[in-house]
Amino acid sequence: MDNKNISIIHPRPSSIVAALYTLRDLNVDVAILHGPPGCSFKHARLLEEDGIHVVTTALDESGFVFGGHRELVNVLHKVNDMFHPKLIGVVGTCASMIIGEEMREPVMEANLDVPVIEVEVHAGYRNNTKGVLFALESALDAGIIDREEFSRQQHLLEEATNVELRHGAASKEYLAPSRGDVKYKVAQRIIELLKEGKRGITIMNAKKETGYMFADITVAVNEIAEQLGKADNIINMSNTDVGLGLPRVRHHAECIMNDFEEKGIPIHEIIGGLDEYPVAGATIDKLIEEKYSDYDFAVITGVPHAIPMDHLSDMEIISVTNGPRQVLPLKELGHEHVLVEIDLHPKTLGVNHIVESEFGATLREVAKESI
Amino acid sequence: MTIQKRIAIYGKGGIGKSSTASNVAAACADEGYKVMIIGCDPKSDSSITLLGGKRIPTILDLLRDGVDVKEEDVIHEGYKGVKCVEVGGPEPGIGCAGRGIIVAIQTLKKISKSLNEMDLIIYDVPGDIVCGGFVAPIRKGLVKEAYVLTSGEYMPLYAANNICRGLAKINTPLSGIICNSRSVSREEEIVTKFASEIGSELMAFIPKEQIVQDCERDGFSVMEKAPDSNVAKVYRKLAQAIMERDSSVMPEALDDERLRELTK
Repeated sequence: MDNKNISIIHPRPSSIVAALYTLRDLNVDVAILHGPPGCSFKHARLLEEDGIHVVTTALDESGFVFGGHRELVNVLHKVNDMFHPKLIGVVGTCASMIIGEEMREPVMEANLDVPVIEVEVHAGYRNNTKGVLFALESALDAGIIDREEFSRQQHLLEEATNVELRHGAASKEYLAPSRGDVKYKVAQRIIELLKEGKRGITIMNAKKETGYMFADITVAVNEIAEQLGKADNIINMSNTDVGLGLPRVRHHAECIMNDFEEKGIPIHEIIGGLDEYPVAGATIDKLIEEKYSDYDFAVITGVPHAIPMDHLSDMEIISVTNGPRQVLPLKELGHEHVLVEIDLHPKTLGVNHIVESEFGATLREVAKESI
Repeated sequence: MTIQKRIAIYGKGGIGKSSTASNVAAACADEGYKVMIIGCDPKSDSSITLLGGKRIPTILDLLRDGVDVKEEDVIHEGYKGVKCVEVGGPEPGIGCAGRGIIVAIQTLKKISKSLNEMDLIIYDVPGDIVCGGFVAPIRKGLVKEAYVLTSGEYMPLYAANNICRGLAKINTPLSGIICNSRSVSREEEIVTKFASEIGSELMAFIPKEQIVQDCERDGFSVMEKAPDSNVAKVYRKLAQAIMERDSSVMPEALDDERLRELTK
């Protein structure tokens, strides 16, 4: 099928939300959604759990007809007084963009002594990474990031879009959500493999803060191997390079690495930064080819569909995703066991330590019974 | 009892829709008909000559101020009891006028009891059919038939032709073409021919006369200020023709080439 021409009809994350998350990664204190009060409610609330304030200009019918210039100026003043932010973001919505709202003028008029990143974005883009790109462009203009980081991010976004088109949520016209395989059975299988003395690789290729939960699966597999006296059979890879990414993303990598160290989990291979999930596949593929091609199984977490199958196809693959629409594409890639961590995102916002995953917990419980 | 007429007047911006609409409204009122004129342009100037040059509060102005709008707030009586309504809208270049029309029309439908008591309701819609908002009076079931105003110049005819294409698309019949003369060569012949080729006919040829401007500048309709003038007679005849009109067609727009030929 020609990926460029398919019309995807299942719901996907929107560019507006993508812009909000990017502003969060740029460490804005307040994000103002310029549009109707209910726009992006669920994500706005989640981001508040992550420590930033998300507010809305709450445009109503009158705002749609007469524009929301005054409302935006008012909200800018209000958030400045209430939260004393160091950096503010303003994000467009479908409604405000369709009526041609201009956000620069209200920002100039509000004349705050705080830098403001304006993102003119609506949700009508085929690739939601557009929202990230627009936010980064504005951040570049406002001098919040440099040209080098911008180019790096731009490249990662292009690759992220390609990954989604190839084997992700944008690969098919319709993908039904699925909960994947039963975690209990897959936990039993991993324990069985370890008992048989098989050698395995854990690959955490996680997207930013989701790493807090996917890392727990790496930890659980290592704990079980340890209990079985097979700790040496496990090789761990994770994309937690502490020196790469926007400020908040680097911080997440540090927190996760600290926890690994504290728990005594050796990370044998760092495969990139927490924002490099779309490009880490090539590194992983090369590492496996050179050093681990005779391993028996792999537990891949995060964005498993970004990893090429070239040198994995002889292994038994257990993959864990947080996308309910990702199950079918992963099965089609040849992953024997595909698991979904439901509600991962709400649990990984606003944290700075590894969070227990459902699969990690299941592994530990099953191990109690069978070891 | 006469059958209620609900018409919309379309045509290129600046072609004279408002002065035609208000003069037809005034002429019908002279004949004793109950008439309402609903101006849908954000400039809110459709009814100004029926109100002695006075502006009335628009539906959207009141909605913006959060007023719980009642019928008496927005329907104002003008010349000989003509009920005047202005939709209003945003300042040029901000907000969305199309959305404004939709919101105002929905409000009007909800609050107005007198809509049903009228013999004639004229919707004076802004310019061309540019987006969904501009056809709201039709789409919300308030308009039954349309008239298109043009002159014999190329661009107004081009717009008129385009509007006919739009009317066919939204399944609204055309009741006739009205020519508001700009005194260009062979004007009546060209517009008559255009009307017949799209399947309709010319309802009236309104001559270009200074008196129309003079009355407008004073804030009055021709019917009120110069009832004995020649152009007043033309409006009176047009008003009568509209009230008696019982046929309409689905217009068939011409292709660009034919339209160009017609005006040569």
